[in-house]
Formats: sequence, structure tokens, C-alpha cells
Amino acid sequence: MTIVKSETTPYLAAYQAAIDTTEPTWLRVRRAAAIEQFSVLGFPTRRDEAWRFTNLRRLTKAPMPPAHPATSLPDPDAGVIESLRLAGRVCRLVLNNSAVVAAQSSGVDLPAGAWFGSIAEALETRPDLLKAAFATTDPAGNQPFAALNEALFTGGFLLALAPGVSFDAPFEIIHVNTDAASHPRCAILLGEGASATVMEHFTGSGAGWNNIVTCVDLGVGAKLHHVKLQTESPAAIHLAQTRATLAQAASYDSTVLSFGALLSREDIQVVLAGEMADFTLNGGYFLGGQQEATFAPFVEHRVPGCSSRQLVKGVIGGQAHGVFLGTIAVRPGADQTDARQTNRNLLLNAGTSVDTKPELEILADDVKCSHGATVGDLDDSALFYLQARGIDAATARRMLIGGFAADIIDASGAGETIRQHLHRHLSVWLEHLP
Amino acid sequence: MTNLLEIHDLHARIVGGRDILKGINLTIKAGEVHAIMGPNGAGKSTLSSVLAGKPGYEVTLGHVLYQGHELASLGPDERARQGIFLAFQYPVEISGVNNMYFLRAALNAVRKQRGEAELDAAQFLKAVKAKLSLLDISEDLLKRAVNVGFSGGEKKRNEIFQMAMLEPALAILDETDSGLDIDALRAVANGVNRLRDPGRAIVMITHYQRLLDYIEPDFVHVLSDGKIVASGDKTLAMDLEERGYAHLASAA
Repeated sequence: MTIVKSETTPYLAAYQAAIDTTEPTWLRVRRAAAIEQFSVLGFPTRRDEAWRFTNLRRLTKAPMPPAHPATSLPDPDAGVIESLRLAGRVCRLVLNNSAVVAAQSSGVDLPAGAWFGSIAEALETRPDLLKAAFATTDPAGNQPFAALNEALFTGGFLLALAPGVSFDAPFEIIHVNTDAASHPRCAILLGEGASATVMEHFTGSGAGWNNIVTCVDLGVGAKLHHVKLQTESPAAIHLAQTRATLAQAASYDSTVLSFGALLSREDIQVVLAGEMADFTLNGGYFLGGQQEATFAPFVEHRVPGCSSRQLVKGVIGGQAHGVFLGTIAVRPGADQTDARQTNRNLLLNAGTSVDTKPELEILADDVKCSHGATVGDLDDSALFYLQARGIDAATARRMLIGGFAADIIDASGAGETIRQHLHRHLSVWLEHLP
Repeated sequence: MTNLLEIHDLHARIVGGRDILKGINLTIKAGEVHAIMGPNGAGKSTLSSVLAGKPGYEVTLGHVLYQGHELASLGPDERARQGIFLAFQYPVEISGVNNMYFLRAALNAVRKQRGEAELDAAQFLKAVKAKLSLLDISEDLLKRAVNVGFSGGEKKRNEIFQMAMLEPALAILDETDSGLDIDALRAVANGVNRLRDPGRAIVMITHYQRLLDYIEPDFVHVLSDGKIVASGDKTLAMDLEERGYAHLASAA
């Protein structure tokens, strides 16, 4: 008999209460397996290597099961959504604690072969797409938060483009989270030769917990620009897992910027499964106060001839703590791999801390791999140079910090509108620096 | 005419070290061009750092008056806004900060201090184009990050270009000739000469007489072991070129 970890009991109860017999059998089977897995695994502890820098005390001390029946929440303030959204022609979905807010979402005419909507709607009208999303991505794996998400998710979004379909306007998803616990499940499925740009913005208020799983499946030659901007409340917990599988010659360009949440974690697991596939990650964590953020990209080169580039930068002030746990795994036979990984940290004052652990596991020949990490302060000579031209010290500091971070935004291929959008958020963050 | 800069018995050091400047006296009026020459270790760079307000240096005795006011209490940015400009010996590379963006912020800070309206992007661009012709600077250089990937000559030209934009009352050129080939030196010197103005004083700090062939000073001073040991007109520089610094240093 398996031993159920005691801290999982409230979540087991929430799962039991939420069982929906109208769901397809395959999904109910998976949910049952997932909750069992979670109950055995329990929450990770600091004894787990991958979690030894992450402080989960708040979650383990006070359980946050989702409310059942799901309490109906007021719609997010329309003015706030208006101020957050991307300019121009966009296909937009607003999710409130993972449930769709129809009045604030807006579509544009999608081409044939494109499907974009909430997970709830997908379950009702296109369960085949959802099933496909589950089939191609690793299920919960050995990860308790992914298992919990699988057992409990009710909302999220799904984007599916059939082979050859491309769409020029960005798909924008604004995720608003409040005091609640939310387990969104998201999926981006691009068929052979399809291409899309997806911009996700996570925002909200209160001391909620967002536990997100996003599956990305790119077919042969498919191309995805994926941008994630996280500006959740400074009291929130934000745990996100992205699992991507790339077929031959597929290209995944990911930009992830974390500004918000008290505790945040980005697990980005990418499998380069087809030759000539290419993955790029530009990440940034911008922390102050008591914030803690972890970036944990795991890039697996399974076949020969693939390339990956990761550049993750941290700007850390207050008493904040940044963590980078990056791995490049080159499997046997994945020759001619070209992989790079860099983590750079800028500490703004004493009392901040950083743990950085870039790792290479190479089991193939003739590969080009590099990794490195730096931790440093603002350059005094640069500060003096700017001041010697009349720029006051506070502005000079902001300029240098902005300059340090600018390239992770500029490197995104998601288009000028989105890059400007990200630069604006960075500027706002810089303006609020003490 | 009032004195733009008065240095009285200035003693200064790197914080915690021994005095490097050991009693400098110097008076500079608007419109004048001064050259301060001296051997390595004489205190030339310390003098420019102290005048510009570089952190890490401290005045231990004496004082500096700029436009009649004590300089010591002003931070480096305040000095710059009040018209003191230091052309760096080693201009700093600042990645991620666009040269134009940086220069507009600097110019607007200076203009604000003078009570002039800030320039918007279009007005700024117009002002830039007017000054570009002064120096052989390609517009492409302005689109790059501050000094990043610039050659030695480009960096020095960029310094003089900034000087042209900011229009300081007192420009201190710290070893501006170092690391320049003869063409770059000529271009930089031409730029400086065009910026000579009855309302502006220029102080050139240099090890070699070479720069003075292109920018003719009104006064030449020799700095040795933290003191000015000789002053004169440009013939003093020629004399130095022939006889070296050694005889002056021993006289001091």
C-alpha cells in the first residue's frame, strides 16, 4: 500500500469534491492517476535537489485547495484590462482565476484550421484537441505540482493551428489571479509548418496561488514566438511549468519576464526531438523586497543537429533572492548539438542573494556546448561616466539597470509592438526602484 | 573679467592614500586654453578627477572656486549641469544604453539647469545633425550603445561630440590624445578648435607636446609631484619636448 503524504489530504478532498462525471473517460482516468501521484509525492522539500533553494513553507503550512463549488468571482476591472492589453489587432482571451471572461475577450476572424479559446470550451466542443495536447506532452511526470494541476485544472486556454496555418496577429492571454488557488492548464499546438505569436500576461491582486502547466507541441518546421510577462501581486505565489516538444526544424523562441509574486518559479522543460530544431530562451527576473524567483530551464537535446540558446538575467534588490537552475542535457547520439546557456545577475544592494547552477550533461560526441554564470554589482565607473554628463545618480542607476536587461527584450522575435510593451513594463519597474 | 576657475593650494588624494596633489594654484578665465603637462605620476589624472568630482578622491587642504562658488560640495552630476565637462581618458562602455538616448538625457539635464526647455526627440535629432558636421562622426555610431565596440579614435571623437552638444563653460580634456593615430588626432583637435569660444575655457591635460601642435594653448603649466613647477606660454611646451621633465622636477 502506498503512503499518502498528510499535507496532500485537503487537496485529495478538493479533487473528490470536484469529480465531474460528464468529463471524457480518458481525462477522468488521467486525473485519478495524477491525484494519486501527488498524494504519494507530496510537496517537494529542500532535500530535493531541484527545490533546495525554494522556500515553499507558506504552501505547506496553510493548504490552499481550490474552492468548491468554484465561487463566482467578479470580473476584473475593465479599465485595468484596458491598460494592460497589447495595442493593435490582437486575438484576446481574458481569464479570471483561469475561467474565461467573455465580455473582456475579443476575437478576430481566425483562418480555417485555427482554434483558440478556453480549456472549458475546448472540453465541450473540441475534446479531440485537448486529448491531442495530453497525448504529445509528458503527463505529470515526477513533479507534484504538475500532477496537482492535472488533477484539479478547470480552466486555461488552448491554441491549435492545423498544419500550414499561420496567423499574423498575436494571440494574447491576460491571466488575472486574485486571492484564490488556481490551476490553469494551457496548450499551444502548432501543426507542421504552422506559425504563431503568443503573448501571456499574468497579473492580479491578493495572496493567491497560481499553479500553471503549459504544453507546447511544435510540429515539423512550426514556429512559435512565446512571450510571458508575469506581474502578479507581490503577495502571490506563481509556479509555472512549461513543457515543450519540438519536431524536426521547429523553432521555439521564448521570452519570460518575472516582475511580480512573492514566490515564483519557471520550470521550462524543452525536448528537442527532431533534427535541426531550435530553442531560444530570453529570461529575466526583476526582484525587490522579500521576493524569491527561480528560473529552471531544462533543455534536452535528443537528436543530432539541434541548437539552443538560453540567456537569463536577474536584477535583484531589497532582500530578494534569485535562483537559476539550468540544465542542458545532450543525450547519446545527439551529435552536432550546439547549446549555450548564460545566467547573469546584477545585485543592487547588500542583503540580496543569488544561487546559480548552470549544468551540462553531455553524452554525445562532437558537440558545441557552453555555459556560464556571473554575479556582479553596478559598475561604478559607468555610473560616474553618466553623472559626469549631468545625469543624476538615481536616473543613472536606472539607465544602467535598464541597459543590463534590455537585450533580453530586444532579442525576442515577437515583433516591435510586443517588445515595446515589455520595455514599458521594465521602465515602470525601474521607476519604482527605491 | 571674473575668474572661471580658481584653484588655491589644492591638496588631494585617493581616499585613504597619501596626498597626490600637494598644493596646486591655478587661475583660469573664460576664453582661455590651458595645457597641463607632466610626467607619469605627477597627478594629472588626479587633478581632472578631483575637478570632475569622481568618487574615491578627497580634498585634504585648499579649495576650488568655480564661477565664484566652492566646488567641493557639488556632486559630479551637479558640476556637469553647471557647465564642467570632463572628456575621459578612457571613455566607459555602457552596454544596453543607446548613445542618442543617453546624450538626450544628458543634454536635457543640462538645459533644465540653464532654464531652457527640454528637447523632444525631433528637436534633439536636429541639434545632433547640426553638430555632427563638426567632427567626422557617422550617424551609425549614435545608434549604438554608448562607446560599445567603438575604436579608440571613435571613443575620443564621441567625447568631443558630447562636449559640442553640452556646450560646457569649462572643458577638461584628460589625455585626449592618448591612443590616437595622427588622423584621429587631427579630427579631434579640429573639433576642439571649433569649440574654442570667448565664453569657454579649455584645460588640456597631456603627457606629450604633440597635441599642442594642433590645439594651440594660451598657457602651459608643468605639473610635477603634485605641484605646478613651471608656467609659461606655448614655448614652454617646446622647451619640454627638447629637454624633458627631469630638470624641472629637480628644480621643484
